[in-house]
Amino acid sequence: MSSVYNHSILELYNVGFQYFRNKKFINNLTFSVGNGEFIGLLGANGSGKSTILKLASGILKPSDGHVKLWDKPLQSYKNKDRAKLLCYLPQLLDINVPFKVRDLVSMGLYPYSIPPEITVDEALELVGLKEKSESYIANLSGGERRRTFIAMTLLQGAGLLLLDEPLANLDIKYQIEIQRLLRELKEKKNISIIMALHDINMASQFEKVMLIKDGKVLGIGNPETVLTGNLLKEAFDVGIEIKKLDSGETYISYPNNF
Amino acid sequence: MSKIKISTLILISVLILSTSIFLGPRIINPFKLTGAEKEILISIRLPRVIVAVLMGIALGASGAVLQGILRNPLADPYILGISSGAALAAALGLLSGTYLLGKFSIPLTAFIGASIVSIVVGAFGWKRGGLRPERLLLAGIGLSFLFYSILMLLISISSDESMRRALLWIFGDLSIADWSLIPYGFVFITAGLCISISRAKALNALMLGDELAHSLGFSVQRERLLFFASVALMTAASVSLGGTIGFIGLLIPHIVRFFIGSDNRVLIPVSAICGGAFLCLADLIGKSIMPPMEIPSGIVTAIIGSPYFLYLLRKRDVISI
Repeated sequence: MSSVYNHSILELYNVGFQYFRNKKFINNLTFSVGNGEFIGLLGANGSGKSTILKLASGILKPSDGHVKLWDKPLQSYKNKDRAKLLCYLPQLLDINVPFKVRDLVSMGLYPYSIPPEITVDEALELVGLKEKSESYIANLSGGERRRTFIAMTLLQGAGLLLLDEPLANLDIKYQIEIQRLLRELKEKKNISIIMALHDINMASQFEKVMLIKDGKVLGIGNPETVLTGNLLKEAFDVGIEIKKLDSGETYISYPNNF
Repeated sequence: MSKIKISTLILISVLILSTSIFLGPRIINPFKLTGAEKEILISIRLPRVIVAVLMGIALGASGAVLQGILRNPLADPYILGISSGAALAAALGLLSGTYLLGKFSIPLTAFIGASIVSIVVGAFGWKRGGLRPERLLLAGIGLSFLFYSILMLLISISSDESMRRALLWIFGDLSIADWSLIPYGFVFITAGLCISISRAKALNALMLGDELAHSLGFSVQRERLLFFASVALMTAASVSLGGTIGFIGLLIPHIVRFFIGSDNRVLIPVSAICGGAFLCLADLIGKSIMPPMEIPSGIVTAIIGSPYFLYLLRKRDVISI
C-alpha cells in the first residue's frame, strides 16, 4: 500500500473553510492525491471546486483540519520551497499582462536561484509555442494563452499541478489539445494533476474523478463508479445518464429534462 | 536589441546630467573656472541639479512601481494623496507660523504630512488582512480631493505672503534648492529605490494576479506592503525636496516601457534614471529660456513630455502597464 506510486503527496484532512462568518462553505473535506495521479474535479457552478484548489494550494487557509504536502503541513513551507513542489493556475488569466511569451514563461524560474534542468526553449517546445516566443500574450488565442501559462508551470518544475478549469471558454480543439498535453506531461515527468472542470464528458475520460457538491465529496474513484446517474443527478440537479456505445466510448444524455 | 535601447537611454541620461551643471542662463566653461564661477557651480548649480535628479529618480521609480502594484496605467505617485497631504501640512505649518525650524519648516511639515497621509491611505486600503489595490486607489483619490479642497479654502481666505510661497512650492519650485536637504532626500530615496529594485521580480509576479504570484512563491501581502512603503518614502522625500512636479511619475514609466518593455527589473532602474535626467533637463530649459524669469519645472516637463508621449501613443501597437 505504501509503495512509491501510491504515496500521497497532497492530503487534505477534515478541512473546513468559510468565506463568511457562521456559514461554513467547506466542511470535513478529506481526500488525498497520490504520486502521478491525474484527477478530474467535477462539480456544478458554485460547488466549491475553486475553493478546494485554493485551499490545497495555500492561497486560502483552512479554518479547521489540515493540508499536508509531502507529509508536512503546507503552511510550514517557505513560499519559495512550496512553489517548487506545487503550482496553481487560476481559471481567469489576465489577457492584458504586458509580457512576451518567452518572458512570461521564464517567470517560472522565479522560485529558483539555480535554474532546474528544463530550459525556457524546452518548455516552449513541449507546449508547441516555440514560434510564438516573441509574441505578446495579448495577441495570442485563448488556447495559446493557456499553453503559455502551462509552459510557465512546467518551468516552475512542481510535481503537483492544481489547475482551475484550464479548459473553460476554449473550443473543443483546444480542450483536446490541452488535455493531450497534460497527459503527455504526466507520462513523461510523472507529474500529479488535479484539474477542475464541469464537463461530464471530459470527466469520463479521466482515470480518477472526484465529484463534489456544496463543498462535500459525493464520490471519488474511477469514472464508472463515480459518474452514475444518481450521483450526477445529486451533483448537478438534473437527470443525467451515462451511456456506453458498442465501441466502448461513453456519452451522456439528459432524458426528461426539457 | 533591447540592450542597445537600454544603453542608449542611459547614455543620453548621463550626458544630460553631466552637462547640465555647466549650462544655464550663463554657460560656464569647466576648463577655465574663475573663482566666482566655482562658487556658482558649488553652491547654486550643483545642489539644484542634485535635487532635480533625486526628485526625478523618486518620481520615475515610484510611478513604475505604483502602476505595477495597482495594475493601473493611470497611477502616479500623487494619486495616493501623498502630495496633497504634504502640501496641506506645509500650508497649515506656514499659517500657524511654524518658522522655528527656519528653512527646514516647509520640507519638514511636508514630510510629516506625507507620512501621516500614507498611513491613513494604507489604513483605508487595508481589508481582509492585506492591502487591496482598488481600495488603495480609491482611498487615495478621495483623500486627495479632500486635502486639495481644504488647501484651496485656506488659500482663498488667507492674504498672507507666506501662502504665496507655499503655493509656489506646491507647484514645484527648484529655485530654493540648496545643500541642506540633500542628505535626507538622498537617504530616503535611495532606500525606497533599493527596496523596489531588489523586489522587482515580485512586482512582475504581482502583475499576473495575486494567485499566480502566490503560486510562484511570493508572499503577496508582504510584497505589496513593502512596495507601498517604498513608494510612500520616495514620494514624501521628493515632495519635501521641491514640491509636487507632475508628468514624470505618470508618463516617464510609460515612455520607458515603449522602448524596453514591462519587465520591472529593468523598468524601475531605467525609469529612475530617465526621470532624473528628464527633470534635470526640464529645469535647465525652464531657467534658461527667459532669464532672469524661471518657468516652474512642472510646467516644462508637461509641455515637452506630453506631445512626445502622444506621438509615441499613436505610433505603437501595444499599450500596457
